[in-house]
Amino acid sequence: MLSLVRPAKPGSVSAQPTAPTPRRGHVVIDRLRVSFGAGDQARVAIDDLSLDVPPGEFVCILGPSGCGKSTVLNAIAGFMSPGSGRLAVDGEPVAKPGADRGMVFQQPTLFPWKTVLENIAFGPLMSGRAWADAESTARSFMGMVGLLGFEKHYPAQLSGGMQQRVGIARALANHPRVLLMDEPFGALDAQTRAMMQEALLGIWNEFHTTVLFVTHDIDEAVFLGDRVVVMSASPGRILADIRGELPRPRVPDIAFTPEFIRIKKQCFDLIRTESLRAFEQQTQGRGA
Amino acid sequence: MTLARTLDRLALYLSIPLFLALWQLVSSAGLVNARLFPAPTVVAVDLWHSALSGVLFVDLGMSCTRVVIGYAAGAGAGIAIGVLTGRYALIGNLFTPVFQLLRPIPPIAFVPIVILWFGLSELGKWFLVFWGVFFTVWIATHLAVQRVDDMLIRAARCLGTPDHRLIREVVLPGAMPVIFVGLRTAVSISFYTLVAAELAGTFAGLAYRIDIAHQNMQIGQMMGGLVMLGVMSALADRGFGMLSRRLVWWA
Repeated sequence: MLSLVRPAKPGSVSAQPTAPTPRRGHVVIDRLRVSFGAGDQARVAIDDLSLDVPPGEFVCILGPSGCGKSTVLNAIAGFMSPGSGRLAVDGEPVAKPGADRGMVFQQPTLFPWKTVLENIAFGPLMSGRAWADAESTARSFMGMVGLLGFEKHYPAQLSGGMQQRVGIARALANHPRVLLMDEPFGALDAQTRAMMQEALLGIWNEFHTTVLFVTHDIDEAVFLGDRVVVMSASPGRILADIRGELPRPRVPDIAFTPEFIRIKKQCFDLIRTESLRAFEQQTQGRGA
Repeated sequence: MTLARTLDRLALYLSIPLFLALWQLVSSAGLVNARLFPAPTVVAVDLWHSALSGVLFVDLGMSCTRVVIGYAAGAGAGIAIGVLTGRYALIGNLFTPVFQLLRPIPPIAFVPIVILWFGLSELGKWFLVFWGVFFTVWIATHLAVQRVDDMLIRAARCLGTPDHRLIREVVLPGAMPVIFVGLRTAVSISFYTLVAAELAGTFAGLAYRIDIAHQNMQIGQMMGGLVMLGVMSALADRGFGMLSRRLVWWA
């Protein structure tokens, strides 16, 4: 089996302090309510959503499109102020975006004028670290995502999958308490996506950073997560919080085990009901 | 196939020589009054004489200095103010209506008042070039800054970029490709306004020389001045194009 995470070269990757620090990254969402628009146009995107993610857990948020999954991440990232409810990471209320919450977007959103190395070193530099320091951090993360040798490349010279690896390395280089991933592999082809999922788990295995991973792909959610949180169609609420018994490290063959299929079926039924309901909502909305 | 390609290439190199040949033909064949429409050879001889006397270089030097100073001031102010009006709604709302009112006034319309304000000094010439360049660069920067990919700004904020570094690190580079389009347009505009500036009373310069030659009925000199203006402007534009491909290569 081809390993996507390049074997750690002694002295390069392991030079980074990679000791799991699972006591960081406790995410609490308490009765979150978000609505868009005002007056008659107001639409509740998220209604009374509570979620407690212990440090080091990998949580997948699964739901039909338009259910407000991304809104949950944007709220934790600090891009919007919640209508009501409380958001906190390690007890600190979320007020605005910050380096303690790394985000990986659906599009890689790399800085096209910076090299791969400069993109990854950007976070540490912005935190006030010297270039030499930021650079060595960036290099170690490049090794971790299998991009050594591409330091001087520009994003446009990389494939979509490689760009997204840079995006992940860039977010991790800040040693965030929590990694927020908004359908990061949604734009990739099926083969690349499968490889990226394994690569991501390989990296996560090193750090055990808390991960909130938003997806509409059931297989992806079940394969990656310790927990799968299924959300309802708008307004977004939590329908089910499924904690499976799948062993780690995860291998692709796990998709054929009864436990995987059991969780997948459970998610499938919930999502199907929700998608139908969402569809009816939309068509009724049109008719009215 | 390859023959067609070669011909395509050849056309590129033949374009200017063919134009000159046609010009020569029209003038020397007596189709027009050769006194009013001198052949390129006559123009070249006149240019050569003014080069020998040194007048051409004085004119070139004066004109280029005016363009460079006016352009640098206009571009610098245009970028600085464009970033502010594009980024901060308050500043944008305060300045944009005024600028949109002033922007369409052709610089040449300012010539009389510039003479009153600045007399025949160089300051007046710089001001006119500045005026033409400033609004072009300002509007390009203003729009470019507003259209910087919001996701890039989000990404930067998530990576811990402090607000005061956001402009230098993300907004400015993100807007650069469009700003450069404005900067390049402004190169041509700076030569247009140079002409207006030099007609506003001066003692040297390419457009001034055209005006003087006109009064003396030196048609060859006049056309020579036009050729020089064209060549200078085209060279500046080409140079700028090459520069921008190097500086904003990612666009």
